[in-house]
Amino acid sequence: MSEDASPVESIGRVRDATLGGRLRKWRVPIGLLVLVVVLRPLVGQPFLLDYSPFANTILVWMLFAASFNVLLGYTGLLSFGHAMFLGMGTYGAAIGLARLGLPFTVSAVAGMVVATVAAYLVGRIIARKGEIYFAMLTLAFAEAVHFAANQNYGDLTGGSTGIVGAVPAWIEAERGVKYVVAAGARFDWYYLLGAIFLVAGLAIWQLVRSPFGRSLVAIRENEDLARAVGIDTRRYKVWSFTFSGLFASLAGVLFAINNQGATLSTLTVATSGDAILMTILGGANYFFGPIAGAFVWLFSEEFLINFETLVLPLAQVPLVRIDLAGVLAYWQFFLGLLFVISVLVAPREGLWGLFRGLLERLYGLVAGGGDRE
Amino acid sequence: MSDARATQGAGDAADVVLRTEGLTKQFGGVTAVDEVDLAVERGELHAIIGPNGAGKTTLFNTVTGAMAPTAGSVWFRGEEITDLPQEERPHRGLARSFQSNQLFADLTVLENVRLVVQTAESGAFGLDLLGDGRATHREAAVEYLERVGLADKPAAKATTLSHGDQRRLGIAITLATDPSVLLLDEPTSGMGPTETRETADMIADLRRDLDLTVMLIEHDMDIVLSMSDRITVLDQGSVLATDDPEAIRENDAVQSAYLGGMREEL
Repeated sequence: MSEDASPVESIGRVRDATLGGRLRKWRVPIGLLVLVVVLRPLVGQPFLLDYSPFANTILVWMLFAASFNVLLGYTGLLSFGHAMFLGMGTYGAAIGLARLGLPFTVSAVAGMVVATVAAYLVGRIIARKGEIYFAMLTLAFAEAVHFAANQNYGDLTGGSTGIVGAVPAWIEAERGVKYVVAAGARFDWYYLLGAIFLVAGLAIWQLVRSPFGRSLVAIRENEDLARAVGIDTRRYKVWSFTFSGLFASLAGVLFAINNQGATLSTLTVATSGDAILMTILGGANYFFGPIAGAFVWLFSEEFLINFETLVLPLAQVPLVRIDLAGVLAYWQFFLGLLFVISVLVAPREGLWGLFRGLLERLYGLVAGGGDRE
Repeated sequence: MSDARATQGAGDAADVVLRTEGLTKQFGGVTAVDEVDLAVERGELHAIIGPNGAGKTTLFNTVTGAMAPTAGSVWFRGEEITDLPQEERPHRGLARSFQSNQLFADLTVLENVRLVVQTAESGAFGLDLLGDGRATHREAAVEYLERVGLADKPAAKATTLSHGDQRRLGIAITLATDPSVLLLDEPTSGMGPTETRETADMIADLRRDLDLTVMLIEHDMDIVLSMSDRITVLDQGSVLATDDPEAIRENDAVQSAYLGGMREEL
């Protein structure tokens, strides 16, 4: 870079040079690392879920939602069939292991390759279609995959029973907690899962920040203009769909380990719908939006469903007891309400956008602010 | 781009860079563009005028490939591009701006232009997965912003700009494709007299500095008559006349069909 850089360039460099600027630049990797470290102890807290293995489930859904957001948040494509790629990962791993007797790693990779190739082919067929037709075709393909798995062709998928007890040799389960046993070491499955999540999360982050990812954003912002300035929107959409499918299938493989096999419910429309709900609830505009959405959705489900009595002011000092069992059992209603409100107020912002807004205002107050109108 | 190619092929005269042959676009029973033969010469400013609904924008859409023509052909620098996908044309040097503000709405001014510079560099598609996209091509993008007078607002969101600034950003986006032929669709629409004058001057500067051939749709007759080398008058999709401004002013058919009410003004 030359000395007489343009004003914009130098503004950028000054900002990058400060500690805050550097933190800002690497906020996603830092955030992902903090998330992996904090999530398990957090959900394990006695006053929260008191069940740390639930962090495994949350992490996999976070990855699934983040893979979905490559489509919705970054490319502006709405898919109702993302579950098919998740399912191909899950079933691929489970079929290879339980039916074909392959090593888990080989089965997992095979499942992911199948899912990725399928995503590429489906993408090629539907990428030129308009929004509604695109969404309907993803739904149709996903239903076809669900149908095929339910039919149990060649006794591979196990129909509605799914595949039970497909566990890699290096996983040991003990009283609901899974351990990885390899090369003489034995550690909680969460640590391996967390490491895989971290690598996958960083890969998705790199994907969307790369020049390729910025072209996806151009398509999201204005597809007509993108074509007019020379962006081959169809091919970018196909590859967006392909990468999205690849990461979804990785989440699927992790699902297979979490659930010790494959269940048909993985392939249903409801699973695709969950990805959409989590992403929009959390905020499709942000990298952490779908991740936050997955957390809030699953945490609320687990927490509120068991939450019966509100004791005020503290459990140790029970002055008031309020029976909430009849109310919070309808947690989905409240979450749905939250969803509707967040869509009406700011469709792409979600809870993460709200949270960021608050943080920025707080930062403004602490740092003396004054630069906000 | 290769000058040799432009001087050969398809029997084009050496100085014709863009040509249409019997170009026709029908929507149902309506013929919006009707057998248009047009030849735009290297370096000229060729204005397209005509009443509302004359087919000016549809002509642009068929020339740039946003719409497939019903019949006829389009030739660019000696090669037929009638069936060339729209997204390939900017990479050959044919670019357009839009009548309404078409921007990457939620992105910053700088990112709007940077993305286009990136596209011009990478081609219509590239699996470029490494590095921080937003850190590339910034200086080139700033240069385009300087040309249109927006270099002081790189971080503003595109939609927060004034109407005039949005039109200027639209031109910067078009320029960032590095065109040799530029199709401008009403660049001054919605602007006041001062802004209109500034924009006209800017277009004149750009032509000189970047050696551009310009096709211009414009309603402001002062601009059209003072800036154009040649003018094509469209009426109901057909070419009524193509000539230099003086001759167009005197043309009886043009007078009666289009300029009628403006005789005194002219």
